Amino acid sequence: MNKNKGFWPVIFLTLVVIIAIVALTLTNGITKDKIIQAKKQAVADMLATLFPHMQSFDYDKDSGLYTILAGGEPIGHAFMAKGRGYSGAIDILVGVKPDNKSLQGIKIITQQETPGLGAKIINPSFLDQFKGVGINEVNLSRNGGKIDAITGATISSSAVVEGVKKAIIRELGSQQKGGNS
Amino acid sequence: MSSFEKNFRRGIVRSNPTFVLMLGLCPTLAVSTSLDNAIGMTAAFVFVLVASNILISLIHGLVPNKVRIPVFIVIIATLVSIVDLMMQGFVPALSKSLGIYLPLITVNCIVLGRAEAFASKHGVLDSMADALGIGTGFGLAILLLSFIRQLLGTGKLDLFGHHLFTIPGFSENPVSVLMLPMGAFLVVGTLLALFRWMGVTKNE
Repeated sequence: MNKNKGFWPVIFLTLVVIIAIVALTLTNGITKDKIIQAKKQAVADMLATLFPHMQSFDYDKDSGLYTILAGGEPIGHAFMAKGRGYSGAIDILVGVKPDNKSLQGIKIITQQETPGLGAKIINPSFLDQFKGVGINEVNLSRNGGKIDAITGATISSSAVVEGVKKAIIRELGSQQKGGNS
Repeated sequence: MSSFEKNFRRGIVRSNPTFVLMLGLCPTLAVSTSLDNAIGMTAAFVFVLVASNILISLIHGLVPNKVRIPVFIVIIATLVSIVDLMMQGFVPALSKSLGIYLPLITVNCIVLGRAEAFASKHGVLDSMADALGIGTGFGLAILLLSFIRQLLGTGKLDLFGHHLFTIPGFSENPVSVLMLPMGAFLVVGTLLALFRWMGVTKNE
């Protein structure tokens, strides 16, 4: 049989693809539950860093709002914010207290800022400034807010602040008027 | 020297994929920022390379020449997807830090290169030796790179969350540029020059 003639190449490639599909379906069957579980665990770990007393959480897909629960009672809310950093998007998790009036804290989830400069936004000395700040007071101190920018990393600092501000307006409704963003 | 040993050894120094063939540099440069990434990448890469070389050497007599490359790509892509799903399920942290570079093993020219240049012309044992040798060469190169970049770029060494050691007085002001993409080029270039100068590697 000449293996290069006629339809044999087509049939052979089809067979290879079918075998590949079977192999991937089997792998997917084994790993599907594990992956869902791992993703859920990752979200729970992320929320627990802001709310150490968290027992469980609810997630509302439409608004993107997490409600953090302990003993059946809500102990706060959380949502994602996005800042436009020096070298790409900065993903930020924002936690607010149950009355939605002040921040529980924020956490940087992903960032690609310059190591040693902009990447200092992940340092507690910067992030801790957000703890307990009223949602109207989130602004750099030079703009009349309560957050001090990191020396040498103004763009990254203001990216975080602006991202958090925008997300607060989106999730909790505008309580900030104008601003000079 | 048996042909297995010969084929195994060739990939480590004489045709080291990174420092001699200079193939697949993109993932090498991108993930060599920490030892954890380098180890994870090596494990995934060696698995895919060995499995694809074995499978392709087993079927190479049957593959019609016309659809040779599509068949190889389908086999490699399937293996990569299996590794990707497994990593997402069992080591999610590693899967996250390797990011896009794990699925990109599919189009890594080393894997397709070995399939086309070696496995499709040799037997199973020789192909396995070739894959293990090239895999070892790749692993050593990426480990060396990430060791240098992590040590000088952050001033300390961490391995899977365990702190190994800190260079006293250096970790406050490390050479952070080495952690950037540019630093990867600097380190690779310097090592290439050094190996060439020492006569470890030479043009084939």
